[in-house]
Amino acid sequence: MKKITLLAISFLSATVLAEPPAKIDVSRLPKESRVVDDVIVPVPSEIFGVLDKLGKPNWAGVLRPLKGVAKPFGEPQQQALYLGSVIAEGFIAVEAGDVAEVKNIGNSVLSLSGALGVRKAVTKRANAIINAADAGNWPLVRKELDGALNEVKDAMTELGSGDLASMVSLGGWLRGTEALCDVVAKNYSKDGADLLHQPALLDHFDARLGALKARAKKHALVPKIQAGLKNIRPLIGLTDGTEISAKSVKEVRDIAAGLVKDIQTK
Amino acid sequence: MKRFISLLLAAVIAATPALASVDDALSYALEAAQPYVKEGFTVREDYWGGDMAVKQAKAITHQLFKGNEYWFWIGTDEKAAKVSVHIYDSEGNLCEVEGWQKGQFGAARVIPKRTGTYYLIVEVEKSNRERTHWGMAYGFR
Repeated sequence: MKKITLLAISFLSATVLAEPPAKIDVSRLPKESRVVDDVIVPVPSEIFGVLDKLGKPNWAGVLRPLKGVAKPFGEPQQQALYLGSVIAEGFIAVEAGDVAEVKNIGNSVLSLSGALGVRKAVTKRANAIINAADAGNWPLVRKELDGALNEVKDAMTELGSGDLASMVSLGGWLRGTEALCDVVAKNYSKDGADLLHQPALLDHFDARLGALKARAKKHALVPKIQAGLKNIRPLIGLTDGTEISAKSVKEVRDIAAGLVKDIQTK
Repeated sequence: MKRFISLLLAAVIAATPALASVDDALSYALEAAQPYVKEGFTVREDYWGGDMAVKQAKAITHQLFKGNEYWFWIGTDEKAAKVSVHIYDSEGNLCEVEGWQKGQFGAARVIPKRTGTYYLIVEVEKSNRERTHWGMAYGFR
């Protein structure tokens, strides 16, 4: 799977594409033309990379160190949300250059993955995270964290737990959003706040929560998160290019922080 | 039980060539990505693919961030096929700054002017097959 064949190809002779239409009506894209996975959820590195370009945030001040290796608790939905939030914390620990915390998070990812039945799928990644942190190879730690996130989700999907895979993404998104808001709120800039404009992702997560099986929907966290997403929606700009105010950034942070606290509380 | 196993085997055998072809298509997309890794692009370890009829475009919704630069690469295992990827913003304007197409490979680059929703339109422009496998990857820096 995903193998790379090594054929010698010269791209120098690549031809320019036939002119594609300059404008399309995106509101009328036929349903059958949509790819099954309705939106590509970006990896955290895409956002952290932009933040790096905007300045040098005080990541150590944003990092919320775990108290030892995270232990699973609650039902699978909460475990999956918790795992996602821990992986997001890993990205913050990388930004903060905190070797001990990155290693702790690597072990926590193993612990939480075990409870969800996907430990085997991420063992190699978790070990790579720990080793790369020891070596101070931060770009590699980032890459392995991205990979761990994907492999956890792939393994869950293969086990028929696509709903839980979405919960992992959602947990990561909420903690990542809280951290992003923290950084932007401390040193507000329009470009930094603009990173919060993610309407397709909000719609995606809302749709995933709405499509959960009846039993999963009964988990207390589900309606709380649905309400939180609904409240965040108008704060992140209704159209592309809308300026997101410092006040809105703080409001989004408070909503996301509240949800992350609920996720991480027994 | 024996009948079930036979049916399962038959299903696996029938499915194998199709999976292998999507895999091959992805490997071509990744091959197209290789020169850009040297330019500092991080290729995401997640891929998208399937099969399409000629001229049956598919749309993929994607969240892109201003401040990043993206390359999208598409490939197919069908030698005679021509595949393409194009990028449109949330208002439907073509927004790629560069693109190329060479037989089984196609690519497009975008530097988002705004953070938000973008649409990738992937298409098999020419093929001898009724359905053509395609695979897409992307990178950012």
